[in-house]
Amino acid sequence: MLRFFTFRLLRAAVTLTMVVTFAFLVLIASGDPADIIMGSDAPPEAIEAFRQAWGLDRPIWVQYLSYFSAVLSGDLGRSMRDGRDAIVLVTERIPATLALTLPALALKLVIGIPAGIYAALHRNSLADRMVMVLAVAGFTIPSFVLGLLLVLVFAVQLGWLPSGGQESWRHAILPVITLGIGGAAVLARFTRSAMLEVLGQPYIRTASAKGVAWRDVVSRHALPNAAIPTVTIIGFMVGSLLAGAVVVESVFSWPGVGRLLVTAVANRDLAVVQCILLLVAATMITANLVVDLLYGLLDPRLRGARSH
Amino acid sequence: MSALLEAQGLVRRYSMRSGLFGASVDLRAVDGVSLTLEPGRTLGLVGESGCGKSTTGRLVLGMERPDAGAVRVEGRPMPAPGSAEWRRLRARMQMVFQDPLGALDRRLTIGAQVAEPLEIHGLDTARVPALLAGVGLRPDQAARYPHELSGGQRQRAVIARALATDPALLVCDEPISALDVSIQAQVMNLLQDVQERLGLAMLFISHDLRAVRQVSHRVAVMYLGRIVEEGEPDAVFAAPAHPYTQALVSAIPRRGRAGGRIVLKGDPPNPAARPSGCAFHPRCAHAIARRRAEAPVLAPRATDGRAVACHLADTMLAEAA
Amino acid sequence: MPEAPLPAVTIAPPRIARPRPPVLVMCGLIWLALMLAMAVLGDLISPFPYTQMDLRNRLSPPVGFGGAWLHPLGTDELGRDVLSRLISSIRTSLVIAFGATVVGAVLGTTLGFLAAHFRGIVEQAVMALVDFSASIPFLILALAVLAFLGNSMGLFVLLLGLHAWERYARIARGLALSASAQGYAGAVRQLGASPWRVYGRHILPNIASTLIVSMTLAFPEVILLESGLSFLGLGVQPPDTSLGNMVGYGREYLTRAPWILLAPAVVIVLTTLSVSLIGDWLRDRLDPTLR
Repeated sequence: MLRFFTFRLLRAAVTLTMVVTFAFLVLIASGDPADIIMGSDAPPEAIEAFRQAWGLDRPIWVQYLSYFSAVLSGDLGRSMRDGRDAIVLVTERIPATLALTLPALALKLVIGIPAGIYAALHRNSLADRMVMVLAVAGFTIPSFVLGLLLVLVFAVQLGWLPSGGQESWRHAILPVITLGIGGAAVLARFTRSAMLEVLGQPYIRTASAKGVAWRDVVSRHALPNAAIPTVTIIGFMVGSLLAGAVVVESVFSWPGVGRLLVTAVANRDLAVVQCILLLVAATMITANLVVDLLYGLLDPRLRGARSH
Repeated sequence: MSALLEAQGLVRRYSMRSGLFGASVDLRAVDGVSLTLEPGRTLGLVGESGCGKSTTGRLVLGMERPDAGAVRVEGRPMPAPGSAEWRRLRARMQMVFQDPLGALDRRLTIGAQVAEPLEIHGLDTARVPALLAGVGLRPDQAARYPHELSGGQRQRAVIARALATDPALLVCDEPISALDVSIQAQVMNLLQDVQERLGLAMLFISHDLRAVRQVSHRVAVMYLGRIVEEGEPDAVFAAPAHPYTQALVSAIPRRGRAGGRIVLKGDPPNPAARPSGCAFHPRCAHAIARRRAEAPVLAPRATDGRAVACHLADTMLAEAA
Repeated sequence: MPEAPLPAVTIAPPRIARPRPPVLVMCGLIWLALMLAMAVLGDLISPFPYTQMDLRNRLSPPVGFGGAWLHPLGTDELGRDVLSRLISSIRTSLVIAFGATVVGAVLGTTLGFLAAHFRGIVEQAVMALVDFSASIPFLILALAVLAFLGNSMGLFVLLLGLHAWERYARIARGLALSASAQGYAGAVRQLGASPWRVYGRHILPNIASTLIVSMTLAFPEVILLESGLSFLGLGVQPPDTSLGNMVGYGREYLTRAPWILLAPAVVIVLTTLSVSLIGDWLRDRLDPTLR
């Protein structure tokens, strides 16, 4: 178990290093930020001063090492637009984002998992078909379309709810529903197939053939085993709590991390983009790590197992 | 007669690791095997599953590199797997696989697959019908796909493909064990016929003693990665010298057998935890103290020159006499 | 030795009666055919050039909502014909999605084959890249690249092609390894075949159906990504127009002229739905091992 844990930790570290390296490589490939920020018609002395101020005149490997150590020490640079620390700019947006994504996650779990289990237990029934059609629809309707449709109906036509902004909890209702429905569809679909796979296993048939009540077969044998793959997708959802609302925040003018990212990309504010990229990757990697460890607890076979 | 192929002291280890930081355990699949194949002769290689006979076959063909030892083909060292020279050499040495359905590409017709070695080595593909006829397949079966043929027919197709480039050596790795019993004899006859007709050398790997006896000019018995006995098949099977061979031979069902069957004690061997000394000692009926300490070498027996790797080879012969 | 030809027992290939696809899948196929026809015949059936303005008919509603047949789906704020813009958008979005899917499949399959062929350090590197791709939500990665490298159509297609490459890489590596270890690929290699022949003539045709199913499943995701990025104003740039881009610009007229936004939105939903249904159906039929 300890070995399993160390291995996963090592792997997470490698992945995180790759993300940092990736961010650096794209930064280098993006060309000279001096030209981009100052404009190509700026006087050469000004551009030179800018390059020196940002350390752009040093050899690449020096830049890489200093970049790496800066990232490790939590210094993610300053916004090239307003000069504030990128990390401050980003972290002050996190509560707003979580205010949308946490309730949405709860909504996904509350709708998605029971719907998936119900559909699997009543395979090919009308309810199952309904759940599946809704699940496919939920997956294929992009969040911006769903969000705008909700605005059109509930804000424009009925006038029940505000269409955007962050003034009160009522402003959060439509974005949370938009986020929740799509995720619930994915989760329902996934839970259903995980459940169906488990229900087809010989040990389930054995348990029910030897007279165990169907209720107990489901709750003791099927659910715990179906939980294993489902945990992965939930882990992915938790990992994307910060990043999952990029589009929806833009639709509803919600001042969270996602909207900051979109404006930063449009303005090519590289420090902010990098900061968000690293933060999202770190969240995601941590969530994956936790999922792996949960796997180890849920699935005894994996405890001493090798990576591949 | 000069040797077609000579293998000297082949060793193949696989390392098995338990966990990332776990100690890696060396598994010696093949542990010092030497053998010689002469043109036009068949060497049978027998042993139970996991004894390293299939790995020996792949080493001899050069599909894997040995960790120690060397293979020489017609006096020259075996080129590295995948190199151009190695690929050219494939025309001279071919293989017949255990599972013919797995060894054939299910999306190509039998004809296309038999033609493939000819295309690869730049030979004339007009030979395909003759090759098919040579293994007892009808010309119209060239247009069939593997799943449309029976198991025996598929193995005939694999043999035809192996023979396409007129190889000097054919390695048959358990060629009949995946086939129905009723088909096995047909395929055995075909292999024997082909071997005699084309005069090729054959390494016949099997756990089936009767099959090995039918086709082989010499036979080698493997146990845990080593050859423990080698000699003429009739002599080896009529009067096995190594206790392990004795046990194998006694297990052949036969009519009116007087003696009882020797039942081996203990578990089948685990190559990762090789017993010290003679690897066979935990299961041997004659185990003497020396066997635990010292590994016997394959040496010609004093009386008739048969190669046996057993401390008791000469003693036991004297007792039997 | 008498080796008479075997008796002429031929085993007929198993002919499984192919059931007609379910109604929903049929609808999907028809819709997809319609979309492809629009993309191919775009210039012929488009009533107006998609950038042509008709300033006297700005924000004119579609037929049935008080609009005239001149502009069946209405016009936008500059009087541009929504139907013509829709046809152009369908073409752009489909071309991008198709190009990106092919890029991803080729890239992933190639890397998967390289990993399977060379093993060792190459395989470790590819698998580390797979881990890396799986560890960041693709939208964030795409946004980062767009921020750093700017936007052009070619780059955009390549970038979207990175989506799902790791799935093809996993599939290609796994299937190539199993075909080489004991199966037909190992046998062909032992005949002396070059790696090109082993992978091109044998492994690729054998795993093609699995790859095609994966492509069908990834295609709607690419459409959604493209339209999402374009909606945010970071994908396809004007004067070019794509489905997401139309929704993004139509958003400002949500209250006054919702048709500008609804027409492309409906097309996005129906197209992704169709391809998803077809993909699920193909997967169940051709390759039950994928899930």
